[in-house]
Amino acid sequence: MTSQKELVPAEKMLPEIKRMALDIHRRYSALEQDYAFVGIQQMGVPLAEKLKEIIERETGYSPALAKLDISMYRDDISNRKRLPLIRETDIPFDVNDKILILVDDVLSSGRTIRAALDAITDYGRPKVIRLAVLVDRGNPEFPIHADVTGFDIDIPAENKIVVSFDNEPGIFCREWNS
Amino acid sequence: MKWTRKDLLTLYDLSGEEIEYILDTAAEFKKVSERSVKKVPALRGKTVVNFFVEPSTRTRVSFELAEQRLSADIVNMQAQASSLLKGETLLDTVRNIEALQVDLVVMRHSVPGAQSFIAKHLKCGVVNAGDGAHAHPTQALLDLFTIREKKGRIAGLKVAIIGDILHSRVARSNIWGLLKLGAEVTVAGPSTLVPKEFESIGVKVCHDLKEAVADADVINLLRIQHERQNASFFPSTGEYSRFFGIREESMKFLKPDVLIMHPGPINRDVELSGAVADGPNSVILEQVTNGLAVRMAVLYLVSGCVQK
Repeated sequence: MTSQKELVPAEKMLPEIKRMALDIHRRYSALEQDYAFVGIQQMGVPLAEKLKEIIERETGYSPALAKLDISMYRDDISNRKRLPLIRETDIPFDVNDKILILVDDVLSSGRTIRAALDAITDYGRPKVIRLAVLVDRGNPEFPIHADVTGFDIDIPAENKIVVSFDNEPGIFCREWNS
Repeated sequence: MKWTRKDLLTLYDLSGEEIEYILDTAAEFKKVSERSVKKVPALRGKTVVNFFVEPSTRTRVSFELAEQRLSADIVNMQAQASSLLKGETLLDTVRNIEALQVDLVVMRHSVPGAQSFIAKHLKCGVVNAGDGAHAHPTQALLDLFTIREKKGRIAGLKVAIIGDILHSRVARSNIWGLLKLGAEVTVAGPSTLVPKEFESIGVKVCHDLKEAVADADVINLLRIQHERQNASFFPSTGEYSRFFGIREESMKFLKPDVLIMHPGPINRDVELSGAVADGPNSVILEQVTNGLAVRMAVLYLVSGCVQK
């Protein structure tokens, strides 16, 4: 059984996503190359879509958007008893010399981002890779940090943080009552 | 759902949902082979033994390439070089392989059920690469993948499997997979090779080619296996070809968008003419490409369930 507790309500989360989008555009649109989003499956993808939407609406610039699944690059395949479904990878542009903004919902150990860096560099040699996350849990196991962060949330590691964008938007804490 | 099996033995054991899960996974692995870097680290540090007690070239090459593209370490063993010839039992041979800390054994064997037997005794994963006339699950999965990719679905399609159904592990595996995913299956060929008993597993049995294929969405032509036929099941390959071969003229009575499939190797002008094999309806080479993707998916999924 699980119980769910709200950490950030929708009315706080949505303006923060807008602030992140504008911050990203301010930082990376001034550079020589175009920047593009790479949403990490699963929840990094809808977040990247939201960021792209806001930037289009507010600035008229339309960044490219890729989806990346990192399952084949994980370092814990043999420790997992059951594998989750591999979701779609779709990179509709040449990553060489691009400025890529990796997007994920939650940054925790940094292992997903480590895998994403390996995965994306198998597609080419981007000029710059940056990281944007909605939630930074502040407990990295690797020297990996976000360049753009929405919320810093420090709660015990055994609690899972769940981000939702549809029916009931918000950031939730899921506790496992075994 | 989540994948929980350490072995892939037959499609008969799997649910439709599990089969779809493999096909969905394979779709992502297919993209790996289309990149300029055709390799992912999913099986890095894992050892796979390809143990072929019955000769095979294309299936073994396909598995080997799949393993390489997953970054596994590979050992190839063939029956001629193994201790089976020195009197060791199969179980002892595979226990010796497992004692070398391998993670997966891909095995082909002429005895039906050989893989299921060893899988029960081993902690490592076992993938069936063909056991006698019983099962060839990865061949059926690549056929299903190809059909789904081309037709967008499998449920409701009419699939005709033509040829030596009696001796064919490809036919059995295809039948199980197709029925679980909701296709209608007709098997056809000479009555000696397509016994009525097949009706009991839910397929239509037919001894007239035209009747079997007229409304088919997919035709899977099986190879006439000279090496398995000591007895005479039909008078001559010429006569077989006349009654059950697909030629250019046959295309007139087929659906215009019918898929022509063949597991290979083709006997040109026996099961099908060169013009049909190389024609616009043929997906025979795409089956080969998809075989790689499907085997990568299977190896990836089962390796995740081997207990360490």
